[in-house]
Amino acid sequence: MKKRGQRRKEGGSLKYKRREERLAYLLLAPIILLVGGLILVPIVGTLISSFYRNITFLPPVKFIGLGNYKRLFSDLNFWHSVFITVGFTVVSVLLESILGMFYALIIHEKFRLRGIMRAIVLIPWAIPTIVSAKTWQLIYNYNYGLLNYLFMRIHLSSHPINWLGSPMSAFTSIVIADVWKTAPFMAILFLAGLQSIPESIYEAARVDGASMTQEFFKITLPLLRPVIIIALIFRTIDSLRIFDLIYVLTGGGPAGSTSSISVYGFKAYILGDFGYGSSVSVFTFLLIFLFTVIYLKLGRFREGLKNE
Amino acid sequence: MSEKRKRILFIWIGSLITSFICLTPFFWMIIVSFAKFPNFLASKEIPFIFTLQHYREVIGTHDLHVMNYFKNSLIVAVVVTVLAVTIASVAAYAVSRIKFRGKVFIIIGILAVSMFPQISIVGYLFKLMTKIGWINTYQALIFPYTAWVMPISLWILVSYFSQLPIDLDEAAMLDGATRMQTLIKVIIPLAAPGVFSTSLLVFISAFNEFMFALLLTSDYHARTIPVGIALFEGLHGEIPWGQIMATSAIASIPLVILTLIFQRYIVQGLTAGAIKG
Repeated sequence: MKKRGQRRKEGGSLKYKRREERLAYLLLAPIILLVGGLILVPIVGTLISSFYRNITFLPPVKFIGLGNYKRLFSDLNFWHSVFITVGFTVVSVLLESILGMFYALIIHEKFRLRGIMRAIVLIPWAIPTIVSAKTWQLIYNYNYGLLNYLFMRIHLSSHPINWLGSPMSAFTSIVIADVWKTAPFMAILFLAGLQSIPESIYEAARVDGASMTQEFFKITLPLLRPVIIIALIFRTIDSLRIFDLIYVLTGGGPAGSTSSISVYGFKAYILGDFGYGSSVSVFTFLLIFLFTVIYLKLGRFREGLKNE
Repeated sequence: MSEKRKRILFIWIGSLITSFICLTPFFWMIIVSFAKFPNFLASKEIPFIFTLQHYREVIGTHDLHVMNYFKNSLIVAVVVTVLAVTIASVAAYAVSRIKFRGKVFIIIGILAVSMFPQISIVGYLFKLMTKIGWINTYQALIFPYTAWVMPISLWILVSYFSQLPIDLDEAAMLDGATRMQTLIKVIIPLAAPGVFSTSLLVFISAFNEFMFALLLTSDYHARTIPVGIALFEGLHGEIPWGQIMATSAIASIPLVILTLIFQRYIVQGLTAGAIKG
């Protein structure tokens, strides 16, 4: 026994090393098979399928090269969905960062109700997206929705608003519902960041007579920067693929005006147009990839500046 | 006003605003689910009358299949959780404990996958599941879900396993334990909070998933509760808001309770997954 252990510590013989490697591959086999077979293969399949004309109700399947992409680039409805997706991502990620920061600052404070407040903040996160989409749909209801009721009660508006009825207000409605659902996630990440800032820094600042606002802008925000960047990357990637909320809350309407790219692609699949749906899917992926690269480049660029 | 006073004011007013924002939609769902007339805000003539009727209907009316959807969701989510955590633990052990060639490549490959949008694989999955006759079965959801949660599960578990000193493994193996015994008897018990956090997150995400379930199931034999709610049709025309909100409450309450009880683990899991990289 002792001999074997000894050998291991010294780095071991070649035979031992090989055995360890083989074991590692064996342990990783299930995850590689799953991810490879059910994610990577489908992605390559989608890529290939995007070069084919493949419509369930109009056979045959035919290779058409870049045909689907040509159609995609001249499809105004598609570009509108790209515009909506990017606009939605920018607005809602920004708003949920601000709201998430607000939540985080509160649940970071030491006070009697902190435990309860942490639980309350997590509730929107815990509720299934579909449930929140349906609940918001009811809240936005023209005739008996809570939002119109409150707006009329506090005289914000003299007449009921048709929240889901016009393109602009439907977009706003989606943003509100999404920010409500996702700000808690931001708050949790920011909270972890806040907890890693040593209390002594604040104490020193307070001795020097710093105000709360100064503390936030001069200490908290700069020190949180790495966490903020990570949170932004996570949420941006997630927002760019938004589907559930829009599909259920507005169905992409009115008249397709709030379709995200994922909703647009999904509708192509539902119509049985797999080739075209695939090209939309490939585009979505490329867009996400582009955004991630931009974020990473920006992060590295700033770091480079700092090092100089 | 002193800084201390200002801070206290910020905390209390902030808590009030936060509670109002976070709780109002949730409470509204509960209130409407108990309202005899869900449109009671429409005019002063319609009163709010408390009733359990909507719950009785969605639980008792067989043709609405709400209980089937709920059962399907539970089965799928539980199986996915067990499978995913097992597979990811074994993989995380290899990644955090054993030196082997191609490690970085495999890890980056698996994590990069989490960038893909669901839409980029759902079409292919639909064709695949149709071909092998799995449409509208549990396995059509279980396998894609398990694959889909792999990156995040692996990430969280590796971050927990790596915190345990490698001496532990060596001590166990000096005593004659095999690698697998070390994983099961030493690492998993010591990383139990991490394994538990991962299980919770996987369970919640499997329970809530929508797009795959929407396309890969067709009726109550496999349809999950989010799809059931999204496609809810009353038996008599008119949007049956009372029933929809009752079903929504039934779907959310297990998750809300889990979250409230295990808040600490969920927070740890989310931050381990996001920040320790």
